[in-house]
Amino acid sequence: MRHDNYKLTIGWLYPDLMSTYGDRGNIICLEKRCAWRDIKAEISSIEVGTPDKKIEDCDLIIGGGAQDRQQEIVIKDLLKKKSVYKKLFEKGRPGLFVCGSPQLLGHYYMTGDGKKLPGLGIFDFVTRHFGHEKSRCIGNTVGKIIFNFQFFPPNAGSRCGGTIFNYKNTIVGFENHGGRTYLGSGCKPFAKVLEGFGNNGEDGFEGAVHNNVIACYYHGPLLPKNPHIADWLIAKALEIKYKEVIELKPLDDALEWQAHEFMLKKLNIT
Amino acid sequence: MIPLITLIGKFIHFVSYLFNIGSGGTWPGEIALLLKPDIFSYFISQLNKGLIIVAGTNGKTTTAKMIRQIIGKRVIHNQSGANLLNGLVSAFIEKASLDGKIDADFAVLEVDENTLPSAISNIKYPWPGCQDRQISKTKEKNKKLIIVLLNLFRDQLDRYGEVDAIASKWQKVLKGLPSDSTVILNADDPQIAYLGKSLKSKVVYFGIDRPDKFLPKIEHATDSIYCHVCGGKLFYKGIYFSHLGIWFCGNCGNSRPKPDIENYSSAMPGLYNEYNTLAAVSVGRELGIKEKMIKTSLASFTPAFGRQEEFEIGNKKIKMFLSKNPAGFNASLRTVLDLKPKSLLLVLNDRIPDGRDVSWIWDVDFEMIPENICVIASGDRVYDMGLRMKYTMQECKNARMQKLIIEENLRKAIEKGLNKIKTGNTLYILPTYSAMLEVRKILTGRKIL
Repeated sequence: MRHDNYKLTIGWLYPDLMSTYGDRGNIICLEKRCAWRDIKAEISSIEVGTPDKKIEDCDLIIGGGAQDRQQEIVIKDLLKKKSVYKKLFEKGRPGLFVCGSPQLLGHYYMTGDGKKLPGLGIFDFVTRHFGHEKSRCIGNTVGKIIFNFQFFPPNAGSRCGGTIFNYKNTIVGFENHGGRTYLGSGCKPFAKVLEGFGNNGEDGFEGAVHNNVIACYYHGPLLPKNPHIADWLIAKALEIKYKEVIELKPLDDALEWQAHEFMLKKLNIT
Repeated sequence: MIPLITLIGKFIHFVSYLFNIGSGGTWPGEIALLLKPDIFSYFISQLNKGLIIVAGTNGKTTTAKMIRQIIGKRVIHNQSGANLLNGLVSAFIEKASLDGKIDADFAVLEVDENTLPSAISNIKYPWPGCQDRQISKTKEKNKKLIIVLLNLFRDQLDRYGEVDAIASKWQKVLKGLPSDSTVILNADDPQIAYLGKSLKSKVVYFGIDRPDKFLPKIEHATDSIYCHVCGGKLFYKGIYFSHLGIWFCGNCGNSRPKPDIENYSSAMPGLYNEYNTLAAVSVGRELGIKEKMIKTSLASFTPAFGRQEEFEIGNKKIKMFLSKNPAGFNASLRTVLDLKPKSLLLVLNDRIPDGRDVSWIWDVDFEMIPENICVIASGDRVYDMGLRMKYTMQECKNARMQKLIIEENLRKAIEKGLNKIKTGNTLYILPTYSAMLEVRKILTGRKIL
């Protein structure tokens, strides 16, 4: 299982505008999980005014959360590149959008004072902020993945000192959002909420998946404690780039799963 | 009514101290505020010479302690770090006579970022004549109000909200301050410096001018690198840490104001303590305290609890650096690494005072820790901390990973850390807030003071 002739370019959206609280963890996680397998990983920063070509060269697109003022700058720039991103994602380029970034990807985002901000329209959903009267959705959260999630190799686990940790279908994280997202009829949710609020605190769903793009409210460093999601993104990116299914070299993920299980236990999820 | 409230408050304080409950810092004030919501302004109106308020994400406790050291003994001070309204009121109750009277020259209060607006709006201005004690009109006129604002970094987003939101709340309340008040601001923090633009108060700036201390590259845990006047990108002649440095806007020409005081020999190691010292010295000068007096006071300064606090354990030492957010953690890490440590204990908790969300550890540049240093992780979120350390590795199974110790039990983690060092050496502990209290409890039997 030699990986050293593979190379991935990871596109990091607006590192100094959309990196509010530990979002960098996702980039570090992907970079290291590639490096530890001898897959060359290069981080490509996408900033205001980055040329289309540089975006098109990314094999994976990662977005984090922004503060209000920064989000305005981001959405202005993103809308200029709407067709570039749409084309990439329609062709299957994988992406992960966490924290507030789902608000940028739907049809629109209605702010607390009733302003309707257009989104990229990649996902069939809308997001609403009901003003400061309605409390923010804050806290630890657990979801159960419900979309067709294939692992490489299928059904594999990682081995450490005789213990086999099987890949879980749970996701652990933290959410902190004021906006509430409502999926359209054609939109596939990412996970079922076991603990926390999820998209809107009403329908029990968390995030959405479109082609190979995941958008969810888990904020900050989602991937380190959810190595299965990290590996899925890496495997998908390799598959799309090299047009073949590539079996990833297993890593010793004992500590990752220990951290994952610790949260499940802390939140009484069995 | 007032005597009764004071008495109840004092009784609660006594009971909680006696039984070492550890919350003696807030309960008396909590109850007093319930019985008399304006009790804070009642107390501050009795101060003889004035009120000094210190706020900012990092350095409040140390700066307030330095100010207290400079201005002398007859001072009310919330030294336990209880910095919400209930903590401020408790500090007064502790020193009040049984009939609710305060006999003190100054109050030096560190105030929580979110509490600052309500604390300031509780100040009745001009100072109401203190009829109880017939203080002369001239004395009232000379009574000082000084607000010191140190910095704003991202910290506990789940509790405080975004940095920008706090700054705009501060701006609103500062604008209401009268012209004979003084606002002391950090010129090197663009967001703090901007607050000085539209105030009636006298504005004093402090800053550091030490090109030898510029960082080679910008840290990741950085906020406010956009201009507060025009939204353009800020550029730096040099950065000391996070977003603090000598800055200017490439678009509108807005730039770091010229500090009224630059560079002063610091009472403690670490560039962040130079800022704390500069802020404290600015207060001293503003109060007309002689330069020599300021110098001698600071020379005998001892750190506040948990902030570079030292403990002797047999023939080994423990030194604790409270590290509660990315900017603070980076700054303490850099200071600790300068001291050539052999062993580091990182303690991460996720209780209310720490913030329930531990995502921020991914904004700390733990990559700067050399691989030959033994790192021990502990705390409520020991696995998150361990995982963060794992992802600093370039290769899987390298030297650092072999050395990494993960220990859920804090007492055992401290023991393991001490076992890793030789006689005469120091174990450095970098804990979050509640973890710092726990370490103190293990080492001294008391959480706070």
